[in-house]
Amino acid sequence: MAALVLPAGLLVSMLLVAPMLLLFRISLNLYSPTEMMVEATSAANYLRAVADPYYRQVLVTTLLVATGSTLLTLILAFPAAYWLARMQSRWKSFATVVVMFPLLVGNVVRAAGWLALLGNGGAINAALLGLGLIAAPLPLLYNTGSVVVGIVAVVLPYMILTLAAVIESIPRQAEEAASNLGARPLTVFRRVVLPLALPGVIAGCVLVFVLCMNTYASAVLLGGPQFKMMAPAVYDQFVRGNNWPFGAALAFILLGITLTLTVVGSAVLGRRYRRGKLEEAA
Amino acid sequence: MGSLVLEALSKRYGQSTAVERVDLDVPQGEMVALLGPSGCGKTTTLRMVAGFVPPSAGRVLIGGTDVTRTPPHARNTGMVFQSYALFPHMTVADNVAFGLEMRRVNRAEREKRVREALQLVRLDKLEDRLPRQLSGGQQQRVALARALVVNPAVFLLDEPLSNLDAKLRGEVRMEIRSLQQRLGLTTLIVTHDQEEALTMADRLVVMERGRVRQVGTAEDLYESPADPFVAGFVGRCNLIEGELETPGGFRTATGALLPCIFGPRTPAGRVVMALRPEHVQIAPAEDGPARLQAVTYLGAQTEYHLDFNGTPLLAIRQTPAAEDPLRRLSNGDAVAVSWNPAAARLLPAAQPDGKGA
Repeated sequence: MAALVLPAGLLVSMLLVAPMLLLFRISLNLYSPTEMMVEATSAANYLRAVADPYYRQVLVTTLLVATGSTLLTLILAFPAAYWLARMQSRWKSFATVVVMFPLLVGNVVRAAGWLALLGNGGAINAALLGLGLIAAPLPLLYNTGSVVVGIVAVVLPYMILTLAAVIESIPRQAEEAASNLGARPLTVFRRVVLPLALPGVIAGCVLVFVLCMNTYASAVLLGGPQFKMMAPAVYDQFVRGNNWPFGAALAFILLGITLTLTVVGSAVLGRRYRRGKLEEAA
Repeated sequence: MGSLVLEALSKRYGQSTAVERVDLDVPQGEMVALLGPSGCGKTTTLRMVAGFVPPSAGRVLIGGTDVTRTPPHARNTGMVFQSYALFPHMTVADNVAFGLEMRRVNRAEREKRVREALQLVRLDKLEDRLPRQLSGGQQQRVALARALVVNPAVFLLDEPLSNLDAKLRGEVRMEIRSLQQRLGLTTLIVTHDQEEALTMADRLVVMERGRVRQVGTAEDLYESPADPFVAGFVGRCNLIEGELETPGGFRTATGALLPCIFGPRTPAGRVVMALRPEHVQIAPAEDGPARLQAVTYLGAQTEYHLDFNGTPLLAIRQTPAAEDPLRRLSNGDAVAVSWNPAAARLLPAAQPDGKGA
């Protein structure tokens, strides 16, 4: 059986682990405007990233946007996932496809769609102006809000599908039993559905948070030139600044923080769930 | 505590009818079983009482109050689900306490009542376990305690024994019945198992295709079935199709003339003769009209599957002693068949969907 993992294992180590090691090596080099990259073993790039208030701000923005987008996605996705999971009609597979449909459109194309909707000459402002409700276009674009909207639209299907899979495994009769015992719908949700869906909530949040942390297209296209998140900052160093060592260091900081928060976050959220599992083992 | 009344209760899904004008009156403390094959509407009826299915027409009254439009959480029914539906993330004690918590019973009182309820079902040692650490029978008893602890006005049981093995089923059956009688619970139980219904309920409601076929005690249904469906569903029964001929008797579809007794309520024309297999006497006879097709030895009883002039006929006798000539019968032997004409009931064949046993 273990042999079956071999092809995938090889592929991952060749295409993921090796480049990562190489990138890490690069992050220890130094940048020189004339020679581009100088062989070294130095933590200078990391120290600079941590010390520079500009990059600290980029990191804070990234964390806030990712956390906010993840929570917003969770709140929006839960009702949809519940509805999808409990759907019994023959439209269920159709509804599932509809949920997945946005995934068929690339991030850049979708961001372009938001531009056409939210821009100064976009559909919303045009409609409001046309109706005479506003005198000047509303600044809907190039702010944190527009970036969050763009990101949430990208990651929503992942969250819905992850949650729906878990909610489907919650016996409907457990909800009916709670309601039979006198629980109002909100109490049924709080006491039965949510605790039982917790593994899915954790999985969905981890998945979505990682995607949010690494947002590129939405941040660049909907955030505008003033708005900076980590992934575009890495890109800038590599392509515009030609500063590979510093870009690599930024990339590893992004990776490290995402990894740490994901592990810590899911451990904290999952504590209650695992406590139940432990009792079972005892 | 309260009575339960169903008035012309109906449920339609688009064109199809799940439940059609069910009327039922369950007085305080009585246990009534809804009995029927799967898809007969018995579970839908129960779920309408619990409030999970909104009726298309008719009313549900609990303790004299119309609850037809009341949401499930405000109905004060105690339901035991087929799958038990315990909360998998809560301990036994928390499961049982849930309904009391919803009723804002204070902690001390809650703990006392949970303990009492668990003692009632003999699970007081397991209160800190999670449902998945319990056996099926134990889970079942937690579900009972959880439903009973809130003193429901009506106790609802949805196929409560179908997930238990045969031996446990008998035990739990007695246990539920004695709890129900001790606590004086107005109870509605849904089952497709006639033995379960016959042994537990005061009265039975036989349903088929959304309609009530007959309501009565076990004896009523077994000894005076209203139609061939009830005769075939409650207990085993030979259902022989044919026509009445006067004078003479009953002419089977295959042409044989059988003796029968005409009464004032005997239907005319096409009828079904219902004959319980224990009323069929058989004897070995060279020139007998019936041929033995199979013998099934069941220990105390033996079943004889006969071919009687092209009509299948089942006879069930106490297993004969070793020296009895019946014991030497084997497949293909000719046998003589007889029964007391008074034991054969003539039922109207009108129901187009009446099915045999």
